Amino acid sequence: MLTPVKRDSGSVAALDPADEADLIARCRAAERAAHDEFYLRFRRQVAGNLYRVLGDRTDLDDLVQEVFVIAFRGLDRFRGDARLSTWLYRICVNVALGRIRTRKRRPAAYGVADLDAASADPSLTERPETPDRTLERRQEQEQVYRALAQLAPKKRIVLYLHEIEGLDLKEIAYLVDSNPVTVRTRLFYARREFYRVLAGAPAEEDEP
Amino acid sequence: MTAHVAPHRWADAWKGRLDKAEVAEMDRHAEACARCAKARDRITRASSSTFPAMRVQSSPELSWDAVRAKIHWSVSTERHQRLRPSRRPLAAAWVLAGGLVAAAVVTGSAREVAHERAVAVAPTSPQEIAPAPLAGLVSRLSGAVMIDGLRAGAFDRQLGPGAVIATGDGRIDVQFGDASALSLGPRSTVELRRFDADAIELAVEGTIDIAVAPRAPGQRFVVVAGDREIEVRGTQFRVVHEAGALVVACRHGLVAVRDAHGELEVGAARRLAVPSGRAVAGQAVAPLSADELAQLVQATPVTTPLWTDVAELARSSAALDIATVGRRSVRLDGVELGQAPLRVRVMPGRHTVEAADRAGRYHRAGWVDVKAGTPARLDVHTDVDAPPTASSAARRRELHAGIAAHRPQLARCTRALAKAGVTDTYVTIEISVDASGAVGFLNVLDSDLPNVDCVLEALRDVRFGAGSAATWREKIAL
Repeated sequence: MLTPVKRDSGSVAALDPADEADLIARCRAAERAAHDEFYLRFRRQVAGNLYRVLGDRTDLDDLVQEVFVIAFRGLDRFRGDARLSTWLYRICVNVALGRIRTRKRRPAAYGVADLDAASADPSLTERPETPDRTLERRQEQEQVYRALAQLAPKKRIVLYLHEIEGLDLKEIAYLVDSNPVTVRTRLFYARREFYRVLAGAPAEEDEP
Repeated sequence: MTAHVAPHRWADAWKGRLDKAEVAEMDRHAEACARCAKARDRITRASSSTFPAMRVQSSPELSWDAVRAKIHWSVSTERHQRLRPSRRPLAAAWVLAGGLVAAAVVTGSAREVAHERAVAVAPTSPQEIAPAPLAGLVSRLSGAVMIDGLRAGAFDRQLGPGAVIATGDGRIDVQFGDASALSLGPRSTVELRRFDADAIELAVEGTIDIAVAPRAPGQRFVVVAGDREIEVRGTQFRVVHEAGALVVACRHGLVAVRDAHGELEVGAARRLAVPSGRAVAGQAVAPLSADELAQLVQATPVTTPLWTDVAELARSSAALDIATVGRRSVRLDGVELGQAPLRVRVMPGRHTVEAADRAGRYHRAGWVDVKAGTPARLDVHTDVDAPPTASSAARRRELHAGIAAHRPQLARCTRALAKAGVTDTYVTIEISVDASGAVGFLNVLDSDLPNVDCVLEALRDVRFGAGSAATWREKIAL
């Protein structure tokens, strides 16, 4: 079984496997209270995952809705070969991938305002950031998301999960429903492209 | 090294994937090459600070309740569509009948087969005139309520066949005929599957109270609760359908509850409880207690005294907003409406509003003159300074611990203000917790924040254990 791959500063304590199985069984029985519990337990994790992958909050409500509808619809097929949170993360990744593909056809601008809507976990820093540092951090994040936007959707997801979320190839392969070798190949090309754009370097001339 | 360093190599170097000699050589190149030095700085900074910051970035605040209502609406609508009987067999019969006719024409026996066809399809002729659809008008609304996935303008919507109503913490009454109305309780959904002169079929999840005037012969009124049905002729009753279990309580009249295995009748002042997975036939009908009966009386849906055409009624009536600080039980012209703030449909004229104090005694709160088609509002000011209950000390400690655990979330609510130099903000809440630890209500009484939704969202996440029931007020410094 794959262990949970995502941590979210706003999430509630993890369910133990017995409680998780019970919650799934009650959701499968279309118990309204179980659906509510499921939603309350995972809503912040789902919204956080989508927000981080996409980098802006446009239509985030709709995407969160989509993830939960897919989850409730697909719980019957959930075999339990991964933790529930991991399975949900997989749905998030697929929903985000769909959104990225749509956006590729109609690119959206990344603005400071988008990144201002949420902020980093305050526990990350001992003392409050200065306004200059906050602005600088937002600009850096904006650069990263701009560089990510240059990549093909599949490469982008793989790169994000590996370089930013720090997941290994096996975990990524489960999330994107692929095999580790394919993931490694995608990652190889994605890293070259991403860091070149992030560094502001031209396409060729680099050391092999 | 003559060529430039490939940018991804700087990321590898930062992660320690390269040996020291290689990194030293790359650094030497960067000392002499401005482009590579810039690439190194950017990538190292991104790897060391930007990526970790992105990794722990939490979700922005969303309209959680609205999203939940939409999810529930989507899921329950899909489920109801799956349960709906398929029309394919009918279509197949038509195709089969058509095929028979064609074959008969070819074999020269068209006349005889045409007669057979007329006999076979006459009862389900598509030329049949469809019954006139009914329309419903909202007569009372409080809290979060969504009609067909939309929250805005719910009070002014007219409801027809296919409409889906979902409630969050709110309640909605819909009148659909003279002395006929439904009242949907909190966290419930109802779909108007059939809503016409011949039949009304409501699919419900949660709690619904219904008052129905006696139906004309041939008119059906059915509430579908999962795989069970409740059929009525003229009555007032309540259906609670949650997690597969069903409770039907009848105030007056008679309802028949049935499933695939049998049927039971529930008469006036009686109730039937069917646990999840059990058949109706094996259950006993029991008398209602005085408290349960009183609850049914209080849950009577609001109806206007005169029911005419829906559009005409909408024009000739008006919405009255009864606004309160916190939740207060109110009466309008002597009729209990439940907990305000709420919006109710009234006819033109002068209306008196009374509000209950903590002991449940009603006091006159004011009156308002209402004109047709013009929304009116009455602010109810009541004495809300009752002392907290004696058992609130332990609950207070739990609340404080919960607030401490949710400090980062609360800090985000005031971050924008703090940046503008506004500090020492506060919110005063009134909260009620029952013995099981469930929060009965959580109201904001006062705050200097422009918007308290974010704070309320954080406070709703605070959990209480089992203990004493308590109601108290708390001023929270943010």
